[in-house]
Amino acid sequence: MVENGIIQQNNSRLEEVLNELKEATKLTKAEKANKFMGQLDLLIDTQEGIDFVYHKIGEITEAGIFEGSVWNDTDKLVPALVNGTYKSGHPGSTIEVLSELRILAIVQKELKDENMGPEEASDFLEEVLVANLEFVFNEPLEETRLMMSEHELKKVHSLFNYISERIHLDGIKTKLVEELTLICEQRPVVTEKQRRIIALIKEKMDLDPESPVDAELLGFQNSIYCPTTGSKDKSLKEYKAYLSQLEEQELLREAGEASSTMLKYGLVSPYHGQLLLYLVKNGYDKAAYISLGVSAVGEAKWFQYQEYLTKLILETVRPYNCQCIYGLSNMLENGIISRSAVRSGLSNIRTITLHPKVENRISKSNIERDPEEKITALQYLVGALIRILGQPLGVGQGNNPTCQSARGISMWSQYAPGKLINLVMTAATHNDLTFRFEGQEITASLVGKGLVQKLDYNLDSVSVVLVGMLDKIYNEMMLRASGRLEDPHKWVNPALYGQWIQIGFASAYDYKYNAIVDFDGFVKIFYATSHPLYNGNHQVMYPNPVGIFVTTSTGKMLGFHAISLLRVDADPSGEMRAYFLNPNNEGRQDWGQGIKPSVFGNGELHGESSLPVNQFAARMYAFHYNVLEAENRVNDVPDEAVKEVRELAQESWGKSYNWIEINKKW
Amino acid sequence: MAQCFALMGWSLPVIESMQKINKPFVVVSFPDFENYAKENNIPFVPYQLNEWSDSSNSLDLAEKLKPFNVDVAVPLFEETVEWAGALNSLYRNDPRVLNRAFLFRNKAMMKRKALIGGLRVGLFEEVFNREGVKSFMTRLNEANLQLNGEEDSWVHIKPFASAGTVGHRLLRSMSDIDEKVEDDDFPCLAESHLSGQEFSCEAFVHGGKVRFLNITEYVRLGYSNFIPEGNYLNSKRDRILGEVQKLVDIFGIEYGMVHPEWFLTDKDEISFGETACRIPGGHILELAAKAYDFDALAAFVLCHDPSLTEDELQQILPPMDARPQTFYGNVMIYPHKNSISKLEIPEELKEEPYFLDHNLVPPMTTQKISDRAGFGNHFGTVNFKGEDPDRMRELLLHYENVDFYL
Repeated sequence: MVENGIIQQNNSRLEEVLNELKEATKLTKAEKANKFMGQLDLLIDTQEGIDFVYHKIGEITEAGIFEGSVWNDTDKLVPALVNGTYKSGHPGSTIEVLSELRILAIVQKELKDENMGPEEASDFLEEVLVANLEFVFNEPLEETRLMMSEHELKKVHSLFNYISERIHLDGIKTKLVEELTLICEQRPVVTEKQRRIIALIKEKMDLDPESPVDAELLGFQNSIYCPTTGSKDKSLKEYKAYLSQLEEQELLREAGEASSTMLKYGLVSPYHGQLLLYLVKNGYDKAAYISLGVSAVGEAKWFQYQEYLTKLILETVRPYNCQCIYGLSNMLENGIISRSAVRSGLSNIRTITLHPKVENRISKSNIERDPEEKITALQYLVGALIRILGQPLGVGQGNNPTCQSARGISMWSQYAPGKLINLVMTAATHNDLTFRFEGQEITASLVGKGLVQKLDYNLDSVSVVLVGMLDKIYNEMMLRASGRLEDPHKWVNPALYGQWIQIGFASAYDYKYNAIVDFDGFVKIFYATSHPLYNGNHQVMYPNPVGIFVTTSTGKMLGFHAISLLRVDADPSGEMRAYFLNPNNEGRQDWGQGIKPSVFGNGELHGESSLPVNQFAARMYAFHYNVLEAENRVNDVPDEAVKEVRELAQESWGKSYNWIEINKKW
Repeated sequence: MAQCFALMGWSLPVIESMQKINKPFVVVSFPDFENYAKENNIPFVPYQLNEWSDSSNSLDLAEKLKPFNVDVAVPLFEETVEWAGALNSLYRNDPRVLNRAFLFRNKAMMKRKALIGGLRVGLFEEVFNREGVKSFMTRLNEANLQLNGEEDSWVHIKPFASAGTVGHRLLRSMSDIDEKVEDDDFPCLAESHLSGQEFSCEAFVHGGKVRFLNITEYVRLGYSNFIPEGNYLNSKRDRILGEVQKLVDIFGIEYGMVHPEWFLTDKDEISFGETACRIPGGHILELAAKAYDFDALAAFVLCHDPSLTEDELQQILPPMDARPQTFYGNVMIYPHKNSISKLEIPEELKEEPYFLDHNLVPPMTTQKISDRAGFGNHFGTVNFKGEDPDRMRELLLHYENVDFYL
């Protein structure tokens, strides 16, 4: 009865303000809409409220609530923006709720929309759900919790509950598989995101192994919760006891199953950690290397360094510090473990005493918490270091403007792993770092702020140790190299990253003219040095630090970003693609003009992004090259190849600059 | 019927009302609005209304309005009262219409006129510096037979020509004069404090007669009011109407709307506070429109037209004796803290049957609240609707002190 009373009361209130909104012409629509939204805001923090508004959504839309706002045209709505809008609070979040309810009504065929049919609407909602799992499952991320009030959380949660009860979850299952695949194929060092989604699926969804989609989801789920036959329905403790009853043959089976799901998804289960420890402790050598999932090459390394590796595993691997097993597997496979500097570095670092501030940072970083809290910060750090050494392309910047530092960590882990370990050791012990720049020393603790104001700790433990300092040092180098009428990166990149960065530097943007000067020449140099068709069929040897313009999905200039060009190669279909490391780990980017970096399916190695090379060139503004080699080949690059790049560039970010057409001496 | 109304000042709700009743009009306002007007097909004459010079004056403006056949000018804001007065003087060929407009723009002149005509007013004086205010307070204390140690008599100072509560200061003691008064306040009007229930009237006047009277009960000046007036004030309605008609006669107002503020004491005396002839603040016409179910903005504009017929008048105005059964009230919300970071609508409000709506928006980021000038800018309004005026008064008083911004 009480409930009814409130709804009735709401009804009469809503009617009155809704009528005002209907009667308003476009002159006062915005003001009336504002008042109406204030009222809705109060109403929609319960399921009943949402239901009440849902049944009026046609009338509300008709009254013009969306008119003149970015929500007006359903075909211009972007699922990826929904999450941020909810976090922005009322009134944005309120109209966003209305927008989703309108689309739900289109799905349910209760509303017709000329720009969106029921199927598109359903696709849209599914995408929104997938991007907002935290709200669907009412498990807001820490950041979300901080940003949103309780009332706002209730609103959004009520909405997502309402929607997920009304649309088929089968659709979102496919999207979840896609999402998980997109993330896992990149093999990121930080695996929290996929682990979280998998945990939520386990908790909130009933999966039927007979259905193909469910089976795929089960695959992901099992990779963490049940990677082997023996781990089924057992707690970690029970599994440990169970292992001691097994014969070698059964242990080999467990090891084989654990390693194959690890290699398939790049995720390591705590059971796998438990298993490896048991195998190593009890001298089951064969099962041990099988559980690492290595080929004959890795197997040889295992036997070569068995004693060393046994010690390393026993000291570092724990069920809740197990992801490093995948890193270790890669280290054996790619031979990095064979470098004596790496082995001694990994021995040395296990003996250091962490600076208290560093210890604190590690404890805030992305680690899997051990319920018994027996894992030390140093163990987490070493585990993260092994992961980075094994997955150099999985390093991410999190929500930090530190693409420069992430790029550096990734490069060193491939080409100077000893140096990287040394940097981590120094930084972890002294909470400080020193670099040399043009004959002078730069010490992080003695220079001003970097780009990061407040570090987002959703990073691996190595990154939280290094990034703050690298960022300061990078910024100081930039300051010292500024005012030279050229892009400071020309000098900073080789100094920061190391001597394998080429000395030659081409920038499309000319500081002297404050314009894009001789873009054709710029593209020609890039092709003549990096494109196998024009550089004598040479390959890119070392990662090339490249500056790119990031553009919106409509091609508008958004900002600058640092990436590394790793290789230019033909993809399986024969198209020439640029393969690069993008430290922001985002698999769903859209840079406009149909330029959408892909992360798998086009010949990418795990962690690589790729674009057709002309599209890549069209977003680039700076790169390094070998001056001596470029000169011979520049004139061989055909004009048509340059023209297609130029057109893409001019019609997108190029609009933000003046273009000057002179030939300059590069 | 007027050939064309010149709306002096930019107000979207008024423009909307004029479009709805389909009367010819042209908006006169600052050039900033020209693009918007063009895009929305609003007849518009850009004019630098804050400038008076050889090239910016009423004769020049009248020329610019000629192509529109304007014959009635309507002041929407305090600052356009003289402009409308000057134009209407030309249109009606009566120079005193402009003088009357000046009356509304100089609070000292306004009071003097009221006093001469026999309205009850407080003691008042033009003051030019702090010493002047102090002498005024001293003489007031003497007149009130102050004994040693007794509190000073309260004095209000107000700029001669500002809307509503802007620049209004209440001085409760000699030391207040030193602390609260600023050099920029002078010259201004000083007046004695009037006690009693404050209310305002919105009298729609045509042919020198009040044709519809709305009484707005002030719950707290600058914070909250409701319409129609509560039962007690309503019992005095005839006397109030008498006073308002007297004011209209004294001031010689023929067409338009006046918005006088009054004080009713326990002894049943009605004192005149001040008056204006533009659209009142506090969303008063909005509330009146809802309570009496008429287009108050359109009525406001049309009453300025001398050629409006009796039929038209009756169509646009509610009857003189209307007494709505539903009361509409609002409370303006000001943050109470010096720094705010979020908006929180209290649960009790959601469940309040009288609650209608609000237009409060959350602060963008943590925001510092600057000192209030007059009553400052409110952050938004909460509207109520209900059948019992006493309950309404209670609610408005209560929500004035609730923290919406934390």
